[in-house]
Amino acid sequence: MSATLMPRSRRRRLDPGRMVAYVFLIVMAIIYIAPMVMLVLTSVKTLPDFNKSPVALPTEFAWSNFTEAWNKANFPRYLLNTIVYTVVSATIFVITGTFLSVAIARRFVRGGGLMFTLFLIALFLPPAMIPQFQLILRLGLYNNPIGYVMLFLVNPIGIVILVNYIRTIPIELDEAAAIEGCGYVRYVIQIVLPLAKPAIATVAVLHAIGVWNELVLATIYLTKADYYPITRGLIVFNGVYGSNWPVIAAAVLMIAAPMAIFFVFMQRYIIGGVTAGAVKG
Amino acid sequence: MEYHFGTGRSRAAPYVLLAPGILLYVLLALGPSLATAVYSFTDATGLPNSPVHFLGLENYREFLTLGAASKENLAALGRTFIFSIAVTVVQFTLGLLVAVLLNQKLRGTTFFRVLFFLPVILGVTIQGLIWSLFLYPLGGPLQGFLGLFGLHPDFLGGQPAEAFAWVIVVQIWSNLGMTMVIFLAGLATIPNETYEAARIDGASRWQVFRDVTWPLLTPAVNTNLVLTIIGSLQAWQLFLVLTGYRAGTQVMGYLVYATAFGQTSGTTSGNTFRQGYGAAAAIVLFVVVLAVGLTTQFLLRRREARLLG
Repeated sequence: MSATLMPRSRRRRLDPGRMVAYVFLIVMAIIYIAPMVMLVLTSVKTLPDFNKSPVALPTEFAWSNFTEAWNKANFPRYLLNTIVYTVVSATIFVITGTFLSVAIARRFVRGGGLMFTLFLIALFLPPAMIPQFQLILRLGLYNNPIGYVMLFLVNPIGIVILVNYIRTIPIELDEAAAIEGCGYVRYVIQIVLPLAKPAIATVAVLHAIGVWNELVLATIYLTKADYYPITRGLIVFNGVYGSNWPVIAAAVLMIAAPMAIFFVFMQRYIIGGVTAGAVKG
Repeated sequence: MEYHFGTGRSRAAPYVLLAPGILLYVLLALGPSLATAVYSFTDATGLPNSPVHFLGLENYREFLTLGAASKENLAALGRTFIFSIAVTVVQFTLGLLVAVLLNQKLRGTTFFRVLFFLPVILGVTIQGLIWSLFLYPLGGPLQGFLGLFGLHPDFLGGQPAEAFAWVIVVQIWSNLGMTMVIFLAGLATIPNETYEAARIDGASRWQVFRDVTWPLLTPAVNTNLVLTIIGSLQAWQLFLVLTGYRAGTQVMGYLVYATAFGQTSGTTSGNTFRQGYGAAAAIVLFVVVLAVGLTTQFLLRRREARLLG
């Protein structure tokens, strides 16, 4: 087998079609890498260096950009806010969403089919933004972290992924659990949860990425700087620091780099989840 | 389905545990979503405790027909279509091309896939800021590069049409990865033997693509078209980061946001906080999205039936 494959793969590498494919992909890769390289280069330049030539290599490394951004941009605070918003909302959503999805997927409740349809059509409903604002305003939760977190307790696509996944878990396990005298809560936690772990993890990660990256809702609901998540913090910092691009670039890089590393390690997981969500939702 | 976990009071367990999820969904998503239509008939503002009056269709009349503002609204609607068509055509084509090439078992496939998908994960704030820097007008990298071709772009600070075009570029750069991975998932479902059979029959690369890959890729094509069209009709957040609310560049999504939340240029003023009027604009956009989305779905289903029986 491998003996017949060897000459074939050698011939493949000389194939002109493959050369064209590589050239195209490399040009595309440059379009993706160039803005990121620019960001990294700018982040280690001094401001005079940058003003002289934004594209030249740095004459000296200005690591102070990072400390300046970290301190002046109020980063620790914004980062902590983002982490709290993300963890709290993802946790509540995953717990309520799992119990909801088990009951619907296993048809333990009347009207479960109708409920599932309500989640399926969510994509085709009008935007909820304005009445949602009126609701939070009237609840007195405007400019309040609790009101902000409330906006992220719902995720219809996540429910669709969970329900579809739980449906694939064999029903025989229910009966086996029942024979053991298992109650409903224990059944969900001890039988369904471990089996649905891949789907739950995917939904949790996707939900967390969404909350982490949210900018518009943070702009609408949080006007007090102490409550800003990192996205809003970056935009405001960008506005205040104006043309001091080296410091802004350092700030952006400090947020983007950990996310990029996280993504590289989790890419199979995340890409698989996003695809499942897109195709099913 | 049978319930194995007791009778009587313990039969209520699934209902009790499902309730929070359903209540949150109805209260925070479904209810507000439907209420948008109701608000569109009122003069609601963003101020707490202000009275709300019923206006009938007045907001719609104003939005679509009243004075210079309505001309600007219709222009924004037109730009929304231009934005959507440009983004869909380029993102779909490039995404398909990249996915097909990455499906050829070349070296470094994972690297390319991760690289092209990365912006999706970074989100709109970082996408926008990275490109604000890359499009730096005073001797920035792209200015130098395009200068080699005799072009002298002003980027985001140029004429509205030019700024608009650059936002389209950034939108495609940011979301191409999504289109690509959906195509890759579709390509993964086509068995290798199908290609090999076609190659043995002497089909050229182009013939294999046209007669094997393209028809079998129909589900992924449909998903991508619907998602990209609907997504790009509603997209506006990159405008927020890249250009701000600038005359001659607004699309409908931004218009809704700006009228309802009064943040036209980062400042908030009372009289632009018109939530009833904004809701009417949101419903106009929603009707457009629904009409385009349903038409697309209908045409794609018909095509699918013709192709796959």
